Amino acid sequence: MIPDLNPLLLFFASVFTSNILLSNFLGMCSFISISRDFKSSNGLGMAVTLVMTITTVLNWIVEKYIIVPFGLEYLRYIIYIIVIAAIVQILEMIIDRISPNLYISLGIFLPLITVNCAILGVALFMQLRNYSLIQSAFFGFGSGIGWWLAIVLLAAIRLKVDKAPVPAPLKGVGITLITIGIMAMAFIGFAGMINVQ
Amino acid sequence: MNKESKLYVVLFTFIISFIFIFVLSLINAYTIEKIELNREFSKVKAILSSAGIQFFDKKDALEKFNNLFIKKNINGVDFYIVDREGKEIFVYVFSGNGLWGLIEGAIATNKTVDQIIGIEIIAQNETPGLGGRIEEEWFKEQFKNEKLSGSLKLIYTGKQGDDDKTNSAVDAITGATLTSKFFVKIINDSIEIMRSALRSE
Amino acid sequence: MNRYKEVLIKNIWVENPVFVLVLGICSTLAVTNNLKNTLIMTVGVTLVIAFSNFTISILKSLIPGKVRMMIQVLVISFYVIIVDIFLKAFVSDVSKALGPYVGLIITNCIIMGRAEAFAQANNALISFWDGLTSGLGYMYVLIIVAFFRELLGFGTVFGFRVLPDNFVNWTIMVMPPSAFFMLAIFIWIAKSFKKKEESK
Repeated sequence: MIPDLNPLLLFFASVFTSNILLSNFLGMCSFISISRDFKSSNGLGMAVTLVMTITTVLNWIVEKYIIVPFGLEYLRYIIYIIVIAAIVQILEMIIDRISPNLYISLGIFLPLITVNCAILGVALFMQLRNYSLIQSAFFGFGSGIGWWLAIVLLAAIRLKVDKAPVPAPLKGVGITLITIGIMAMAFIGFAGMINVQ
Repeated sequence: MNKESKLYVVLFTFIISFIFIFVLSLINAYTIEKIELNREFSKVKAILSSAGIQFFDKKDALEKFNNLFIKKNINGVDFYIVDREGKEIFVYVFSGNGLWGLIEGAIATNKTVDQIIGIEIIAQNETPGLGGRIEEEWFKEQFKNEKLSGSLKLIYTGKQGDDDKTNSAVDAITGATLTSKFFVKIINDSIEIMRSALRSE
Repeated sequence: MNRYKEVLIKNIWVENPVFVLVLGICSTLAVTNNLKNTLIMTVGVTLVIAFSNFTISILKSLIPGKVRMMIQVLVISFYVIIVDIFLKAFVSDVSKALGPYVGLIITNCIIMGRAEAFAQANNALISFWDGLTSGLGYMYVLIIVAFFRELLGFGTVFGFRVLPDNFVNWTIMVMPPSAFFMLAIFIWIAKSFKKKEESK
């Protein structure tokens, strides 16, 4: 049964209140290493949003028309990851053909994305929660935007923090984690904006 | 044979995938019945525990479910009815929206629907570790024998659980206020459905 | 034998995957407000790293370069699916509590990282050992984080109440931000020790 949730509410919740990165910790690896550089963060965020939206929708279709009718539930993880890898490959080729400029700013991040936990995570959440196609699309897009927002914000903060006089053992990863923690606390505040009738 | 030739790459990928998928399908075939049974069983288990009936294992649970419960449709609502110490207990299987997806479960009340006997969750998809804690014992324990005056309220005690069985209120889960709100709403909706069905009985 | 000891020390302390390389915290950090779930997740991760390292090391001379990554992902998914089926069939409560996080072990960066960096170049037995010790290095850090989160957040350890009843739970420890704070504090302490070692 499909839950009766407003797609816009899902979008809002996945960007702010339950940001895929800040509350589910998905996509941390590339998040910490890439956020050192503001420009790359922006590029990666854009790429993640694009791939996440497309793969969530596509995995929804694959789930409904291939996995369930053929009883392949036990191979779900492999199928999802193959779909994601294939989409990343195709996007890389398309972007390379259409716009070499975009390829330089976006394309180099694409191979990183196949193993980004957030992409697979969103697909698995979508399947588990039984969303409709529209809900999945909004959820995927919202999670992507949320990830993008989080990495751009962190990169901007890190521009300043990296120059601050932080205790030596805490430099780099340590202080970054504390920064992310404070960001996560701020984002929790958005929960008050959702009304439960 | 050249390791990088096209034929080798295709053959190798094909054979390796075939072997792995074959092994997986064997394991799957071996366990699918068990997994399927677990899933079906979770509903029976929920109905039994919500009515406060103890059981040892699956076989015992299914036996008790088949022997003790009567399924009855009253005014368009399906109830599982059990006679316990001379009192009739009505179990209703509910399903409603949580924060992220459907929450399914069973709620048991007395005939006049002014006291909850117990609740149990069948399936939920809330955030693991936060909203997902509605499955934990202390949270469900709060509903047990709770007197109902009007509808159920949500309170914030700062402790774990609300022991007062007469205040018609339960404690929210720390860190998962939204899921708690949605859950109490589902319970209140279910109580309303049960009341209107049983009133004319 | 020395080689095994060397790998052990490297994975547990010198090049610990969590606090030195900062890899693979994605899927497990989310469940660290509960010790039991953390333990099961980390055991799952450890087994998957060890066995996929072992398998990839055996197959390494046969795998063509072009599809190396794909085969690695396939091997890893294979073991993750086995772990998932096992949990679903025998401990369905735990499987429900962990939700999609078990599947997300596939994208845990440590597993891919070890397969690339170690199993590709070493024999099967020591690759297995490398996977096992990396997993343990990962496990103890997250268990420590989970211990403090559960203790301060709920006043319990493995679900048993250990703090007095009048202890007011630290709500923040249950919420996601505290996982970042706890990990940062752990890194702070571990790196201070490291600095001392180096200066000796």
